[in-house]
Amino acid sequence: MSSNTANDSPLQQFLGARQGRLKAIQKNLATVPGPDKPAAGQRLNQVKQEIQSALEGARASLDSAAHARVRDPRFDPSLPGPRVRIGRLHPITRTIDELKEIMARLGFTSAEGPEVEDAWHNFEALNIPQVHPARDPLDNFYLSVAGKQTTGPGNLLLRSQTSTVQIRVMETTEPPVRIISLGRVYRPDTADATHYPMFHQMEGLLVDRGITMAHLKTMLQLFATHYLGAEVPIRIRPSFFPFTEPSVEADYFWNGRWVEFGGAGMVDPHVLQSVGYDPETWSGLAFGLGVERLCMIRHQITDIRNLFTNDVRFLRQFH
Amino acid sequence: MLVSHKWLSQYVALPGQLDRLVERLTMSGLNHEATVTVGDDRRIDLEVTSNRPDCLAHIGVAREISVLFDQPLTIPDPQPATGGNPVDNEFAVSIECPQLCYRFTARLIRGVRVGPSPDWLVERLATVGIDSINNIVDATNFVMFECGQPLHAFDYDRLAGSRIVVREPLPGESLLAINHANYSLEPGMCVIADGERAISLGGVMGGAGTEVSDATKNILVEAAWFDPMSIRSTARKLNLHSAASFRFERTIDAEQIDWASRRCCELILQTAGGELTSGVIDVGRKRELRQAISFRPQRIEQVLGIAIPEARIKKILGGLGFSVQDGGDPARLSVTPPPWRNDVTREIDLVEEAGRVHGYEHVPDDIDVPLVASVRGHRDRVIERIRAAMTALGMDEAITASIVPEKWSSAFSPWTTAAPLEASQPMLGVLDRASQNVGAVNLLRRSLIPSMLEVLRINESRQNDQINLFEIARVYLADSNKLPVEPMKLGIVCEFEYVRLKGAVESMLQVLAPATILGAHSCDLPLLDITRSAELRVADETLGWLGEVSEFARNAFSIRCAAAIAELDVSLLVKLTDAVTRHADISPFPAITRDFNLVVDDSVRWDDLAATIRRAGGALLESVDYKETFRDEKRDGPNRKRILLTVVLRSGDETLTREQADATCKSILDQCSREHRASLL
Repeated sequence: MSSNTANDSPLQQFLGARQGRLKAIQKNLATVPGPDKPAAGQRLNQVKQEIQSALEGARASLDSAAHARVRDPRFDPSLPGPRVRIGRLHPITRTIDELKEIMARLGFTSAEGPEVEDAWHNFEALNIPQVHPARDPLDNFYLSVAGKQTTGPGNLLLRSQTSTVQIRVMETTEPPVRIISLGRVYRPDTADATHYPMFHQMEGLLVDRGITMAHLKTMLQLFATHYLGAEVPIRIRPSFFPFTEPSVEADYFWNGRWVEFGGAGMVDPHVLQSVGYDPETWSGLAFGLGVERLCMIRHQITDIRNLFTNDVRFLRQFH
Repeated sequence: MLVSHKWLSQYVALPGQLDRLVERLTMSGLNHEATVTVGDDRRIDLEVTSNRPDCLAHIGVAREISVLFDQPLTIPDPQPATGGNPVDNEFAVSIECPQLCYRFTARLIRGVRVGPSPDWLVERLATVGIDSINNIVDATNFVMFECGQPLHAFDYDRLAGSRIVVREPLPGESLLAINHANYSLEPGMCVIADGERAISLGGVMGGAGTEVSDATKNILVEAAWFDPMSIRSTARKLNLHSAASFRFERTIDAEQIDWASRRCCELILQTAGGELTSGVIDVGRKRELRQAISFRPQRIEQVLGIAIPEARIKKILGGLGFSVQDGGDPARLSVTPPPWRNDVTREIDLVEEAGRVHGYEHVPDDIDVPLVASVRGHRDRVIERIRAAMTALGMDEAITASIVPEKWSSAFSPWTTAAPLEASQPMLGVLDRASQNVGAVNLLRRSLIPSMLEVLRINESRQNDQINLFEIARVYLADSNKLPVEPMKLGIVCEFEYVRLKGAVESMLQVLAPATILGAHSCDLPLLDITRSAELRVADETLGWLGEVSEFARNAFSIRCAAAIAELDVSLLVKLTDAVTRHADISPFPAITRDFNLVVDDSVRWDDLAATIRRAGGALLESVDYKETFRDEKRDGPNRKRILLTVVLRSGDETLTREQADATCKSILDQCSREHRASLL
């Protein structure tokens, strides 16, 4: 058993104001017979002064040693210090964090939903009817319980877009709504330099009274300014998605050319109806971005597969 | 869609500058990809979205240009001369599968001279990337690229039985197509047959047996309308995609079929001679009933945020081929779409038509958007803190695919015994070269660990060092008759030993929820070394599993070096973490530290010893910390160990005296001796 606290330091032990040994001797003065008391008192003070000056002397010499400005030739200030390796976040996580942060500043709250979806949320509610080519079994990961016999494509599949989350939020929330949904989505493309059967999407949805395409364009402009750090020209041009009408593709002007940054549009009245919103009262804007695409453009990554191989030398490039 | 600049100019006057043309096309929905010079023509590549099959043809693109630049559109009116016997007397067509083939028309031309096409025709086709075959086939291709209606020419004399039957394939039927590949046909496909056999795969590709050759004298020109979904599935099943199937899949203009047939015959008569037999065989549905749309022009401003004058709206819609009438109410128009615009059925579609041609550049991008607060969830914050802790502990973040092969799926599934969900098709191209033989990647993963062991293997094989990785992602646990549960897990794979990884997990917990007491219990999972693994629990709940990878599993995953894994439940971590930390007073008085070297049986676990010390130490015990374990059988006897530990004592009310500290230490030692047969060394 060992002891070692501030109370037990030698200085405290001998000179401590309350329990030091010198203090104990001082207390013992009371027991000295009357006539000897003054002499004993003087002697004690003398001892105390001697101890005090010896202590100060010792401190002074310690201080002056500390201040001696003599170089030690053996000291090499250029030696590396022991480094602690700090891990890195995946570049996709960093991109998602940045998108979330920007969208939060624009008032969008992030929402999540299941990756395994039913046909209603992945298709019907998004204006993709039963006969639509987008429902082709070859274009989706339909699911069944392993080992069980099934007939035809089942009702469950891995979601092919995060718009499913928008449907789920609108089904359970009264308008107005201002959310983003972020997460993994799946399409059975064979992996190559520009495709991967799993990727990440961010989709924004704003539903309120009187929302028009001018709101959409303004939001896209604000987003581009935040993301690129400067006000750059944007444009929207017609495109086609089942769940928006009109549908547009949004581009920003960067380094002398138009760069596509995502799809957008006004929420299709059919989508509003399918979640019980009256499209004559409420209107909405929606936009979606491919996270990998933005991440790859920003970091000049040329092969999407690098993002999912997770070679630590690749991961450690991002900070 | 590739279009020829010269070809377009047959139907509409084009602006002098190409840049102006392609810019306006891009901004109204036909995105310009590139333009290249071909001979003295230009090939313009336009991206056509799947809702606009009318623009898969020069006339469709010319119509857009005529509206964008306010120029008249000129469409030819083919009236080929006919003669001789009415075609009905020659042969007959019947449709036995009206669900697959809606309409079938045929015209007969006798006495053609098959040969090379004139230069102008060869050049037009070359500009859009089509090789010239002969004057008959070129005419069918020309008309398809002109108006979007695919056509097919048969060598009439090679048809058996003077009739055509449109039907599903007979059992075991196959077809040698004009690409000279043989295709086995299946139910649900649409076959064009003569009196004996299949001669063509309707809407997809013709057959070699009735192909037009130099010896062909009489030809039958087919213009038909096939069901889009069946064409699509046939083309995909046979992996046989053609310009024809591409157009039928997107639906064609049902009312243009006869125009296309006449146009094609006119061209053949021009370039190959012959005589067109009078009349036409035309069976099946003639047209789709088109509904008028009630359109409120003021809806435009409500959707687009800008008003477009009514006169301009009418001009745009009229130019695109819509019929616009008064709607019986001053605020409404009655608008009927043309037959080539099956994508327009609702008011909102008309809003888009007017808007896209008027130009979205008129829509402002700097209006006031009301400010609202956005809320950040507790879960989101905790996950961010987990990530920060993991990186501080030297771990890099990985992201791996959610679908895994069977071998990985069955290697580790501590969270459920339920079978995994199986995808209808595997993920392709996602495996590293060395893992190609592992099997189909088709099961939704029930644990992150197998995917991460593969990441470890790849990094090892590349001689990387400090391979310490984590991933935060969902696993998929099947739930009968419902959507599966998708709990979020934190997976870790690293080169640490058991105790160092446990320390890392404890350090993370220290940041999230310092009051948590983590229990470690023995577990038996084949992936883990049974002597160096544990189930981690907090109170009664399982937080996860942690351990060194067993030799068996290292062999199975081809891992060379020692490794450890942990997989923890993120929801429990979120639950354990307080949203806001409550401040507790800290004592201003000095502490007394005492080290103990206790000799106990090997079976005594640290968790139990520490619990005894905490209880016995009472209010004065600030902390108890494990230091080291030694064994000295000679002095302590068999199956005994020495545990060196440190306790820190402190009072919140006063400076602790040596006597108080001694008394507390004595009661700790007495309790340890009673409960664990511990003796002080």
